[in-house]
Amino acid sequence: MLKESALFLSVGELARQIAAKQLSPVELTESYLERSQKLGPKLNAYAHLTDTVALEQAQAAEKEIHRGHYRGPLHGIPYAAKDLLAVKNIPTTWGAKPFAGQVFDYNATVIDHLNHAGAILLGKAAMIELAGGFGYMYASASLQGETRNPWDTSCWTCGSSSGSGAIVAAGLAAFAVGTETWGSIVCPSAFCGVSGLRPTYGRVSRYGAMALSYSMDKIGPLARSAEDCTRIFAAIAGHDPLDRSTLPIDKAAFTFSPVAELKPRALRLGWLTNAWQEKDYDSSVAKVIDAAHKTLQRHFPTMKHAALPEGPWEDAANVVLSCEVGSAFSQLIRSGKVSELTDPLGKISGYVNLNIAGADYNSALRIREILQETIAGLFDNFDVLVAASQPVAATPLNLDISKGLAYPDPLGAIGNLCGLPALSVPCGFTDKKLPVGLQFVARAGDDAAVLQAGRTFQQFTDWHRKHPNLV
Amino acid sequence: MNKKNGSLLSRRQFARRAAVLSATASIVPAEAFLPATSSAQTPQSSPQLSPQSQLEVDSRYQQILSLYGDRLDEAQKANIKKMCADLQPSLERIRKFNLANGNAPALYLKPLVERAKQPQIAASSKNP
Repeated sequence: MLKESALFLSVGELARQIAAKQLSPVELTESYLERSQKLGPKLNAYAHLTDTVALEQAQAAEKEIHRGHYRGPLHGIPYAAKDLLAVKNIPTTWGAKPFAGQVFDYNATVIDHLNHAGAILLGKAAMIELAGGFGYMYASASLQGETRNPWDTSCWTCGSSSGSGAIVAAGLAAFAVGTETWGSIVCPSAFCGVSGLRPTYGRVSRYGAMALSYSMDKIGPLARSAEDCTRIFAAIAGHDPLDRSTLPIDKAAFTFSPVAELKPRALRLGWLTNAWQEKDYDSSVAKVIDAAHKTLQRHFPTMKHAALPEGPWEDAANVVLSCEVGSAFSQLIRSGKVSELTDPLGKISGYVNLNIAGADYNSALRIREILQETIAGLFDNFDVLVAASQPVAATPLNLDISKGLAYPDPLGAIGNLCGLPALSVPCGFTDKKLPVGLQFVARAGDDAAVLQAGRTFQQFTDWHRKHPNLV
Repeated sequence: MNKKNGSLLSRRQFARRAAVLSATASIVPAEAFLPATSSAQTPQSSPQLSPQSQLEVDSRYQQILSLYGDRLDEAQKANIKKMCADLQPSLERIRKFNLANGNAPALYLKPLVERAKQPQIAASSKNP
């Protein structure tokens, strides 16, 4: 078995060793599986492991690489997929009891892309039931129970990509795939101290992914660094005829270009002054964010203050989300099977969702159109907006989320309502040794800008190289 | 914004103006801006509503009760009633927002010009 330090290497570092035949994909997979079997249950990180598939894929990768057929930087790299992505003949539970026995006979496009890249599926990551679309009060709102934060197992990982965050942070896989409708990549990345990319809406196919909000769901990677997110994003982005919401070929595809890396563009950063309210900041988090601000000022001396426009953006996002969730799970709600969900809120909120008027939903979509234009105007002056990923660090497992995390999130609302890309990177630790995240947000389609900003930040900091001691 | 209606405002100009109007018209308590995971919760107090708004809330609640009341216990009914009331200010802010007739929704139909062959999703999954 490999040493623990090898399991915390980045995808880029692992890929270099695999390509040079210094590292065996089989040995790497076996090591991650062993660690996942040992630590996964303690963290409730997995919905289930896919040992057999993983070992078959690892052996195939090893054979190919030894024959000289190296597919690229994900070849032989083990990962976990959020349990709302269909994998042929493997249970896909959506984290919810009513779907506990669900098995699809096809792969989600993202899984196919990763298969083609030669990545190895270690297992399905635990998640909040139905990706939290009905709202939830407790971290335990999942078929697998609450996912524990590897930095402090009495704390939560955030959701809904809870297992994806825990798996990467704990070194149980090299990366994970998560999804975000509103906060589900950015928040777990922040709470778990990993780098997570929420891509522009429509760049990554959602075919085979559970639909929560048809106009807001996105799929993206959680990994050890912004550079790893770049490589993974390049493998999963692209137009898909099976998902009609994907952008056209020229707008959806993303290429990881070493040449472009040599000539990064001069980014205009805007430090957001109103992404969070002062009163909602944990003082220890505020201190870390202040230090991150100073680091950015050194490396982006042209950075200026920026402010989000005021408006009913969160109301609009809430109504769009609620109505689309109500529609996506109408059958579950109307049949009464929604009562089988774990969380008290999840059992009942669908009834309210079904009773929002169509005219209000359409008005929210019209507000979205105006917001898109308004935000495009803001990006005339900035390439990337920066703010804390969350104003607090990981919260206790038993916290009533409806009270403890109930603060305004206009940036999350705007970003997700308009389908903007965001990258959360670790930027320090609180007094209680819990990770803090910094998020970069760019105009729709400019995922490259947030990735470049994140990579620049990580060139001058080493927070992304820290990992928890779980032994 | 809407050139068909003879306005000279560009779309972006309109958006900026709308944002300003909205900013002045929507000074609301912070707790009204709650993310999806937390908006429909059960805090102790309900928002203050006008009689008309309260009627709408009551009507929504009664609609839910008439359809699904037999499967809900009293605590769940009380929570749903509270959620109906909590939703109302959000809906009213949306309704107050200055929308012109020409402001189309940001959700466009992509005409199915060329049909790609798709597997039968519903038939191929073993849903409970």
